[in-house]
Amino acid sequence: MGEPAIHVKDLQKEFVLTHTGAASIKTALLWWKRKRIEHLHVLKGISFDVYPGQCLGVVGRNGAGKSTLLSLIARIYKPTSGVVEVRGRLAPLLELGAGFHPDLNGLQNIYINATILGLRKQQIDERLDQIIAFSELKNHIDAPVRTFSSGMAARLGFAVAVHVDAEVLLMDEVLAVGDFAFKKKCAGKIAELREQGKTILIVSHGSDEVRKIADRCIWLQHGEIKLDGGPDEVLDAYLKQSVNTFETTENL
Amino acid sequence: MWAEAKELWNYRMLLFSMVDRELKIRYKNSFLGFFWSMINPLITVTVLTVVFKYLARNEVPNYSAYILAAYLPYMFFQMAIMDSAQSVLSNLSLIKKIYFPREILPLAAVVGNFIHFLLAMVVFFVYLLIIAVFSHDFSVFQWSSVYLPLLLVINFLLAAGLGLLFSALNTFYEDVKYLVGIALYLNFFLSPIMYFGEITYYGHSYKLYFLYHLNPIAEMSEAYRKVLLAPQPVVIKDFPKPMPALPLDWTLLWICAAFSVAVFFLGYHVFNRMKWRFVERP
Repeated sequence: MGEPAIHVKDLQKEFVLTHTGAASIKTALLWWKRKRIEHLHVLKGISFDVYPGQCLGVVGRNGAGKSTLLSLIARIYKPTSGVVEVRGRLAPLLELGAGFHPDLNGLQNIYINATILGLRKQQIDERLDQIIAFSELKNHIDAPVRTFSSGMAARLGFAVAVHVDAEVLLMDEVLAVGDFAFKKKCAGKIAELREQGKTILIVSHGSDEVRKIADRCIWLQHGEIKLDGGPDEVLDAYLKQSVNTFETTENL
Repeated sequence: MWAEAKELWNYRMLLFSMVDRELKIRYKNSFLGFFWSMINPLITVTVLTVVFKYLARNEVPNYSAYILAAYLPYMFFQMAIMDSAQSVLSNLSLIKKIYFPREILPLAAVVGNFIHFLLAMVVFFVYLLIIAVFSHDFSVFQWSSVYLPLLLVINFLLAAGLGLLFSALNTFYEDVKYLVGIALYLNFFLSPIMYFGEITYYGHSYKLYFLYHLNPIAEMSEAYRKVLLAPQPVVIKDFPKPMPALPLDWTLLWICAAFSVAVFFLGYHVFNRMKWRFVERP
């Protein structure tokens, strides 16, 4: 299968919580001896490889470490230990439109966002019409983004992210944005990107969308990989256990 | 550090577009927009001229030019450092979502202010030209102005170094920006901006003059003034007549330059050490 597009090996991530919220010198001085340090072991050594063209779904309950894993792959966090390697350009769709500045207009924000994602000005010029057409915001593109609704901002964010020709796309439940028609359009675009051989990693609580687009699934539980396999197998097991847990708590 | 510098070079387009963003946002909702960076020094020139020439009846010719030559670099310095100190914290939501070299944020703040400063310097030279035309005396322009780029580089490195340092520290301890604000404010009075640095020499000793100018802001103020304008005799208390200005002290300037380079590398080093923890800020 060649070189993996995403290579994760023995990945561990530990957060240190001080409980003082030390954001001033005063608190730091007052608390320096009685610091209540708590180590939060979010990822406890996970390994997997995603090969070009694969679409990997990551499911798990809140606090299982899904978002931390995405942030580590996106290089927002540095691993405590272990390796994360991404081959090719990466487009994180962690929170669509997160990089937008409210006081700049849509057009200016397209340029800044696409530059952050690694395009040169000329490349953005070439893709501009496609991006605007995809976002369906032609009439609003000269207005400041603060006047956009959250759905509009998300549409613009998605439009930019899918047009930067990234080899690897990271998504965090982004299919939940926009109205039904736009959702459908996004799903279509993702399918198109998959056909082009892009690698996609999508994080979810276990919705049916993952079952549709993923061809492999990882179930994260308490920072470890509980199950790794086909989407049907993993999702069925995951949903079954979720229902069981729910019923057990109900019976208590 | 070199790996980080190389990464930064790969992201240089982003730095340019962040600077562009800084410049656009600053005057986003104002009618005059970019002209404000020229209007500020223009108003300053006007007020200084009225106060010192007509109200205080100061004998020194073109006194406002002498103040402006030190005041404009100080303004750049203050704005650049205050803006960059705040830059990481105010973009925290952005860096939690997407990767790019974090040093781009404080550097964009410094470069953006540097561009405003260069515009202000254009206003300064236009002002000198107006003085020259009206007085038919072109001696206000000095050959030593060719050293201006050297001063700009030193000033930029110092501002960038401190901007990197304070932006990293301020992310964890927000007291830093208040402390820096006070330090900069005090430096306005501790540096020869509204007066001439020679008072420490004639009033006291060369030793004091030297110590006083070890402060990089003091040294930069003096250097800009001496490089851009003709030597100006200084009126000192208890002296019967104005005393001649001292020439630019190159030893002090090179000390300031070395200090600035050191601060730049120190700031970048500290920033690189801390930058991965920004997103994990408590």
